[in-house]
Amino acid sequence: MHNDGSGTLRYKVNLSASKVKVNSILALDSLDGKKVPSIQEISSKIGEFAKILDAQPGISNVLIEENYTDFILKFSCDFSSIMSLQAGLANAIEAVSKDKLGPEADEIWITWDGNKLKRSIPAFARAKVKAYKSNDLELLKEGTYTSITRFDRPIEKFDNTLGTLSKSKTAVMVKSSAFNIKENQDLLENTIYLISTKN
Amino acid sequence: MLFGQKSELFIPKDAVTVFSINNISLLQKISMDDLVNYEFMEEVHQELFDGSTSGKTLKDAGIDFDQRLNLFYGKTNQNELSGFTFGVKNKAQLFDVFDDFQKLDVAFPGVELYGTFFNNLIIKENTAILVRIEPTMEYIDQMTDSIWYARGNEMPYELFDVYQDEEEEILNEEEFVQEEPAEQISFPEATEDPNVKNYYELRDSVQTILQERELERLMKELFVEHVNLYATDVRFEGQMSHDAIGTFYLDNSRNFEKSQGLWYFQTVLPSLYKDIQELYTGNVILGDLILKDNLVEFQVEAHYGKELGSIYKEMNDSKFDKNVLKYIPETSTGYFTYNVNLRQAYEQAYKVIMPILSDEKNAQISMNVLTIELLNEFVNKDALFGTYKGSMFGTFNGIKKIKTKKIEFYYDEETFEYGEREAEAEEDMPIFTMGFSIDRSDIPEKVMKHMGRLTSKFKNMGSYWKFENAILDSAPLYFINRNGLFIITNDEDLAVNHADGYGADALTRKEKQAAKKSGFMYAHIDIAETLNRFPSGVLNPRQEEIVQSLKGKSGQFDLTSNKTTSEMTKFKLQYSFEGNEATGKHLLDLINSIYVVTTFNP
Repeated sequence: MHNDGSGTLRYKVNLSASKVKVNSILALDSLDGKKVPSIQEISSKIGEFAKILDAQPGISNVLIEENYTDFILKFSCDFSSIMSLQAGLANAIEAVSKDKLGPEADEIWITWDGNKLKRSIPAFARAKVKAYKSNDLELLKEGTYTSITRFDRPIEKFDNTLGTLSKSKTAVMVKSSAFNIKENQDLLENTIYLISTKN
Repeated sequence: MLFGQKSELFIPKDAVTVFSINNISLLQKISMDDLVNYEFMEEVHQELFDGSTSGKTLKDAGIDFDQRLNLFYGKTNQNELSGFTFGVKNKAQLFDVFDDFQKLDVAFPGVELYGTFFNNLIIKENTAILVRIEPTMEYIDQMTDSIWYARGNEMPYELFDVYQDEEEEILNEEEFVQEEPAEQISFPEATEDPNVKNYYELRDSVQTILQERELERLMKELFVEHVNLYATDVRFEGQMSHDAIGTFYLDNSRNFEKSQGLWYFQTVLPSLYKDIQELYTGNVILGDLILKDNLVEFQVEAHYGKELGSIYKEMNDSKFDKNVLKYIPETSTGYFTYNVNLRQAYEQAYKVIMPILSDEKNAQISMNVLTIELLNEFVNKDALFGTYKGSMFGTFNGIKKIKTKKIEFYYDEETFEYGEREAEAEEDMPIFTMGFSIDRSDIPEKVMKHMGRLTSKFKNMGSYWKFENAILDSAPLYFINRNGLFIITNDEDLAVNHADGYGADALTRKEKQAAKKSGFMYAHIDIAETLNRFPSGVLNPRQEEIVQSLKGKSGQFDLTSNKTTSEMTKFKLQYSFEGNEATGKHLLDLINSIYVVTTFNP
């Protein structure tokens, strides 16, 4: 996050530790009664998402890196404001999803007032994660979720007890197991207070 | 007589598959809701089981548990029929459960007929048949066409094709009008004359009439002429005399006759079809399900005709390859051996089938015969059948951790800057081994050497070959070409430490004897250790159903076969378990598994 409210979002999914499992699922026609998409279909959907997001106001430089050998997906985009990012993501998700978000698309789940960044979990994401059921949930215990938020200036404090501050005091990292986050999404909520520019 | 013998007399002679459950008192507590979920009930009109059956058991349905419950299915060139026959103890209770049936008029004394839209329930004295009989589409079309054209109509399809382009229709009409004066058009425009049926309306009427006629014919056959499967097939009659808790009858020869996929042969090459049909004469599978203390036994006899039998006999006349037993560890929870002689089977099949094909006066068949005869002369059969003799074995050795590579994300502890590095990972993988008996080990060796030159992933490791990332681009596959066997496995331990077999850690002497004594096939499965751990992801939905139906149970499955004769091969599937598991539910689970396995049609 830059001081002016613009910033860059980077999102990386790394399934390389489960590539045997992912490959074996991709080899199936269907799983639990649902069609398993091909790599081409997955890639095409991701490409569609990127294209739609790139066309949203305040969003630029959407980049996607897909590695289907190790199953690593890297996504990044620049945003002019937090509001543009939220609206852009909601529009793009809605455009590529079968399920429409409805009023949830307007939910504000991240705010920035120049000194304070407040992040919560959007209701549509909560519902999706809550509804997710599988015999393989235990495997999520071996997965890690890491979130790093960087700023142009030092952080004064933050609320999330799982967070750690970088030596330069300009970044905060929250780390948890993927399983814990599935069970309790509040673990990712955080309010980060920066040292005021007026001081 | 311990059990009544009446319901079996109501099984139509056209039934090709019959499941007969004796002593059905075991099933008294089974709920209708559970019953309808079994695959074998799919043949038996699930729409019967609606709100009125929910929460009820078979006992609530007024069924006489002293009679057999017989499920049947059959198909002829004219109709398809399915249903079940059973004893009736309390009619009021029966209609309380099956409450959708309306009483219909019937011309046969002592017979009561009830019907719903699809099904008919026919009761005589204290026995009933619930049946759905439907004329086949081909039969309906044939009869409809016959009436349609006899009335002087033209080809119906273009006239009522709703998708037809309007412009094209006008053009066709103009062409038609030019050829014949309008008043001579002979086909009726059904839409203009409500008293004349169009083709599809006629077809619907034909279907209804044929259905009524087929039902009438069936009732006459059963209740006037007393013609039924029991009376017409001594093999089935024999089965019914068995004291087994369940019996199974499948007439494959009639299945062959009605096979839709053979219409080409039937119409274009009728003499060839007849000859092949003769090959299948007498092809019947008979089975008995027997309950003993802590043991359920399914005894199956696969009968076949002389010609086909001669091929099977030659195929199964094979010396057991003892080498395979060295490669099955004592800890293996599921394994099979398959012992056949493909060379002898090929030679015999050549003797039996080639004269049939050679007699056919068809250019395409003649060319194929010539090709087969030339291949038979030119191909080195010693090399071919020396490489693939036909005998094989397979094991499932559980789930093991295998080493893979992953990309790890790491973060600088001070700056939180991110980086990536390759790291070792472990993933669960089912461990399978498959091995083939081989006389010409030099041939796969040649192939593997060539592969080794083509890619660095294929390496000669001395006593075995290793193919890196062969499975799902992640895990290695190993090839062992020793001791007259060519083995493919993803078990690193077998390749690295046991390339010459497991030695003292192989199967026990008793287990080896069981495999050796069996005919051409032997299989052993520890249910708890194998099926409960078996990765369902690798199965197709039907196979998964089979495995699911057995999951959660404990015990051992053993499949053995006897020596194949030119008349039949006997199989025995034994399920031994600990504790008192022989409940009706358990029995139905087993019947269902057997049904799914025996009717499995990949």
